[in-house]
Amino acid sequence: MARDGKTTRREPAGLQAPTRQPVPRPDGDAPVPSLPSPDPDDPMSYSYTTDLAAIRAVVHRYAVQAGLTESRAIDLTLAVSEVAANTIKHAKSPGSLKIWYDAKEIVCQIHDEGVIADPMAGRREPSLDAQGGHGLWIVNQVCDQVEVQSDGNGTTIRLHMNLPRRGAGQ
Amino acid sequence: MTRPGRPAGPIPPASALWYNKCVDLLTVSVTARESAGEPYTLVEIAGEADVTNTDELRRLLDEEVSQQPRTLIIDLSGLRFMDSSALHALLRANRALDRQGGVLALVSPQPAVAKILRLTTADRLIPVFGSVAEAAAG
Repeated sequence: MARDGKTTRREPAGLQAPTRQPVPRPDGDAPVPSLPSPDPDDPMSYSYTTDLAAIRAVVHRYAVQAGLTESRAIDLTLAVSEVAANTIKHAKSPGSLKIWYDAKEIVCQIHDEGVIADPMAGRREPSLDAQGGHGLWIVNQVCDQVEVQSDGNGTTIRLHMNLPRRGAGQ
Repeated sequence: MTRPGRPAGPIPPASALWYNKCVDLLTVSVTARESAGEPYTLVEIAGEADVTNTDELRRLLDEEVSQQPRTLIIDLSGLRFMDSSALHALLRANRALDRQGGVLALVSPQPAVAKILRLTTADRLIPVFGSVAEAAAG
């Protein structure tokens, strides 16, 4: 699924491979936890336009491979899909997805050139009568940690899911 | 199932397949059915419903709602995935039906779809049933 030609496996434009330095924060932003690092030897990167189903398939595959339960893998897949849907709705260029995991967590980083103006986006529960706004709220509900950086360079969102401890039983 | 003040909408012929549409990964088919003399419209949605095919889903549901069915049942058993855009299409159909005295019911969501219904509490607004027969019986 990852290499079926729909999801191009390449370094996404405008996005540095995650390194051991934390992502710079906009001035005046509250401190955030230090960021984990991907394995630099095995970055899993994809760019997407409207092929959300392929992106979901990739995320689900890696989520299960990393050790998430099926239910949590579904959560992460839903979260990535919602963020990527925002790219389609608001950004004028393709988005990029990078996935990495270690023994403790799996991280999906989505970058696009759209801007999230509302710093509280996704933090308040929208009414069921609302015409939109559920996407980021759902993301915040299902992920263990969500980091959002939005500025003139676009928006980068990191979704973290803790992995069950090995041998702890599920 | 019956509510006071509902409009007497046109009753479609029983068990006629109205159409079967496929948009990318989303397939929607609509049939008119009957349960214990009560007509209902069954919409089966299969595949994956997300922002890339929501416009079509919304249009199809709008069309069904405009027929003023007393009961509109959406069978989700073939739907592997639904995002918040598609959920909004369902909520929109629910609001419109409610306004005209109709009822929307959902049937057999798969885990990923059940999850978003639960997270957004949409499953408390729209009744969810285990089978079409149960939904049709109200």
